[in-house]
Amino acid sequence: MPDLHLNGLTKKFGRHTALHELSLTVHDGEIFTLLGPSGCGKSTTLWSVAGLHRPDSGSIAFGDRVVFDHGRIDTEPEHRNCGVVFQSYAIWPHLSVAANVGYPLKLRRTPKAQRERRVREVLDLVELGDHAGAYPHQLSGGQQQRVALARALAHPPDMLLLDEPFSNLDAKLRDRSRQWLKNLQSQVGVTTVFVTHDQDEALSVSDRVAVMNRGRVHQVGTPDEIYDRPADLFVADFVGTANILTATITEADGSHALIRVDGLGRPLRVPHTGTHLGGARVCIRPENIDIHRPGAAGSTPPDALTVTVENRAYLGDHYRYTVRVGATPVTVTTTRPVADGELTISLPPEDIRVFPQETPMDVPEDAPSHEENPHASVH
Amino acid sequence: MTATPLRPYSPPPPVKPRRRPLSTNASHYVLWALALLVIVGPIVPVVAASLWSTPLYESGGHFTRDNFDALFTDGGWWTAVGNSVLFAALNTAGSIVVGVACAVLLTRTDLPGRRTLTTLLLVPIALPGLVLIIGWAAMWTPAGFASSWLETHTFLSMPVDLYSIPGMAMVGMTVASPTVFLLCRGTLLSIDPALEDAARTLGAGPLRSLLSVSLPLMRPAITNAALLVFALSMEVLGLPLVLGFSSEISLISTYLYDHWTNDSQQGLVSAGAVFLLVAVSALLVLRNRLVGDTARFTTTTGKPAGVRVLRLGPVRWLMSGVLALFLAVFVVVPLAGVVLAAFTSILSPFISPWSVLTLDNFSAVFDNPLYTDSIVNSLLIAGVGGALTTLVIAVLSVVAHRSRFRFRGSLQQGMLWPRMMPALVTGMAFFWSFALLDRSGAIRASLWGIGIAFAVRSLALGYSAFYPALAGIGADLDHAARTSGASWWTAMRTVVLRLVAPAMGASFVLLFVAMLGDAEPAVFLVTDETPVLGLTMLQLAATSIGGSVAALGVIQMVITLVVLGAGRALLGVRPRA
Repeated sequence: MPDLHLNGLTKKFGRHTALHELSLTVHDGEIFTLLGPSGCGKSTTLWSVAGLHRPDSGSIAFGDRVVFDHGRIDTEPEHRNCGVVFQSYAIWPHLSVAANVGYPLKLRRTPKAQRERRVREVLDLVELGDHAGAYPHQLSGGQQQRVALARALAHPPDMLLLDEPFSNLDAKLRDRSRQWLKNLQSQVGVTTVFVTHDQDEALSVSDRVAVMNRGRVHQVGTPDEIYDRPADLFVADFVGTANILTATITEADGSHALIRVDGLGRPLRVPHTGTHLGGARVCIRPENIDIHRPGAAGSTPPDALTVTVENRAYLGDHYRYTVRVGATPVTVTTTRPVADGELTISLPPEDIRVFPQETPMDVPEDAPSHEENPHASVH
Repeated sequence: MTATPLRPYSPPPPVKPRRRPLSTNASHYVLWALALLVIVGPIVPVVAASLWSTPLYESGGHFTRDNFDALFTDGGWWTAVGNSVLFAALNTAGSIVVGVACAVLLTRTDLPGRRTLTTLLLVPIALPGLVLIIGWAAMWTPAGFASSWLETHTFLSMPVDLYSIPGMAMVGMTVASPTVFLLCRGTLLSIDPALEDAARTLGAGPLRSLLSVSLPLMRPAITNAALLVFALSMEVLGLPLVLGFSSEISLISTYLYDHWTNDSQQGLVSAGAVFLLVAVSALLVLRNRLVGDTARFTTTTGKPAGVRVLRLGPVRWLMSGVLALFLAVFVVVPLAGVVLAAFTSILSPFISPWSVLTLDNFSAVFDNPLYTDSIVNSLLIAGVGGALTTLVIAVLSVVAHRSRFRFRGSLQQGMLWPRMMPALVTGMAFFWSFALLDRSGAIRASLWGIGIAFAVRSLALGYSAFYPALAGIGADLDHAARTSGASWWTAMRTVVLRLVAPAMGASFVLLFVAMLGDAEPAVFLVTDETPVLGLTMLQLAATSIGGSVAALGVIQMVITLVVLGAGRALLGVRPRA
């Protein structure tokens, strides 16, 4: 299976730039997820790989095979040998399940006996062996989704492309399907690009994730890198929940920094690789904030803060409290409830991420935001 | 997971992209060029002929404005224009009143017998127009069967003389009212009932909320219908030819027809055709402009909701009676007239029709080679031509809507363009094109000449029946085929066209019916070898309303109803405006 290389991909829809010089490499056999809010360019990227969108410039290569190069080379979608699972599944209603899955093999003139064997094999793989003769309307949503996957895997493809394949399933089924897909992908070993706006999905399924916004990649990394060491405020805010506080960096030596957080009395010494001094934003996850309960074991650190609970919510497996640090509302989560209206909290320095002020949270865009539409240029 | 790993599977060697003689893109260009050549191209020679001193098929000649000068200084022409405008205005006004009233009464109230009344109202647009005119002429002319019967047996009489412009407009209303009805009903049904409910909650009564909310929202539909009916009224030929003949009332269409067939002033007629084309196109462009700003009136939420029924109380019986009487006079009596005239040797109020029943008219039809040829030719054009046209429409539609072809937008416009062309102009356009490009006359001598003209004329009708089904098929379905390895044409053939097959069937039924009865484009193209049903009947009806023409009408009516009935049963075909 080849790697996938995207180099300097740019795509404009009128005045709106959907992709800004996007470059990525997807390694052989990994599940690579494009994660971002709607309109971030993730689907445009996927359709460009599939050959259904034509970028304005840049290049796309499957291993050594260049399939797109600044418009000089533009391999038709049928010659790219991708397997695509569409958000709508796009199962052909006039063909049976077996005929749907056999279609790519038929086009490749696979002999009949071999074709039937392969269709059975792939349908068994997605656990639909008993439904080969059924028609799509007789299947449930989850089954249709697996037919789409079987069809995408049949030829077999060099590259598997998935466009929000689980978004039409209910929450339980979605969760099971993710696990199932991950197992199946590791068996088949096909290089996979997965598009989603759902951060849970991205974190649970992927080998690596690219977080995108407004046509740019903000960070590429493994799920825990993305969550624990976000590259900028956008990533911190988009993936999971983040409390963002204003602070000032007073000392920085390249490995640690001394920061003064608005609303906290003492300065904190936190890990930070930058050396820039001055204004900054800091971010901490709600579950990382320490709660100190009266009478509990362990000493309360000297910089702990007692705050009033402004809002409380019970969410089944945890409790969520809204408090205020300085003027900023801060969310704290815990699995054990707090009885009274006050909380004593402290911010553990090792869980604080510092972003110096000049790091732009977001690149301002002059064009109005544009609802992402995978069919905008394909008819 | 217990599934077997897939690794051992050895994929077949990759299929090399075959060198096809024509790439997908090149095939799109070829289709596009051919389509525009056939659809829009023929208009060029009409304009050329109007500006040339001799007919185009003769050598010599020079550029001239004489044809237009002759036309614009001819008093007869301006009389015809005046008559046409008066006829169109009366027809439009009457049809709007009847059509809108019917739309409201038949879709939004509890009028007794709504379904039957709706079916009766729609019969005239399903039938060939000429059949109804023949019926009117047989029954409601001053000497007609029904008028005379009323005067002899009752104190009532037919108040309007059919051999006059208001009389012709009244006949025109029979076909134009259901057109208005269909356009308005669609809008009325798409209005979200919540809008009227909102008015109700604020204190408006049911009638008041209907009149103050829904009726204003129908304004674009009414404007649209009015301009469409007006434009269509400017070009009708059958009606004035049959009813205007004896009183020498000339409309634009009959003026052109007369000067072509009787004194062959082809340059003059071409100039008149250009004038008509410009006038009708201007009206329809105006329509697009006016209706274009529809966002203000867009109310559909996509949420299906039941229609609120307005309770009329006891008045509903009166309303129902009035409507039934209207439809009896306008539809039932004329249709009965055609049937009576076909099955009697003489139709007169002074002789009981039962005493003169006969099948002679039908045997006369089947003994006359002109009539049998006409029927066979029309069936061939409708059957073979309709099927071919359906295929062409399907192929052009997928190029226009499913490809990345650069000029696909112009193809979409091109397929609707024939709707802008008066039928007479379409016929003349092909006459001049064949005269120029096919000197041997081979195409005109065969049925292909008339067939192509009828096909182009019906293109917009078939396309508008076909397009919604195509639009309803998600683009992902053909994208999935492409990424599975299908070329563009293969994806269209194996997925898209398979899925729209029922719509192609429906489109074929409508084209069959339209092409079976079409007459106007044949006026300029017909030869002794290629008579067609519509024109043969028209020529016959223009001189006399005899039993033979009624018998032909009955035959045409029966074929149409059988085909439409089958279409409705099998494919759910519905009449279209």
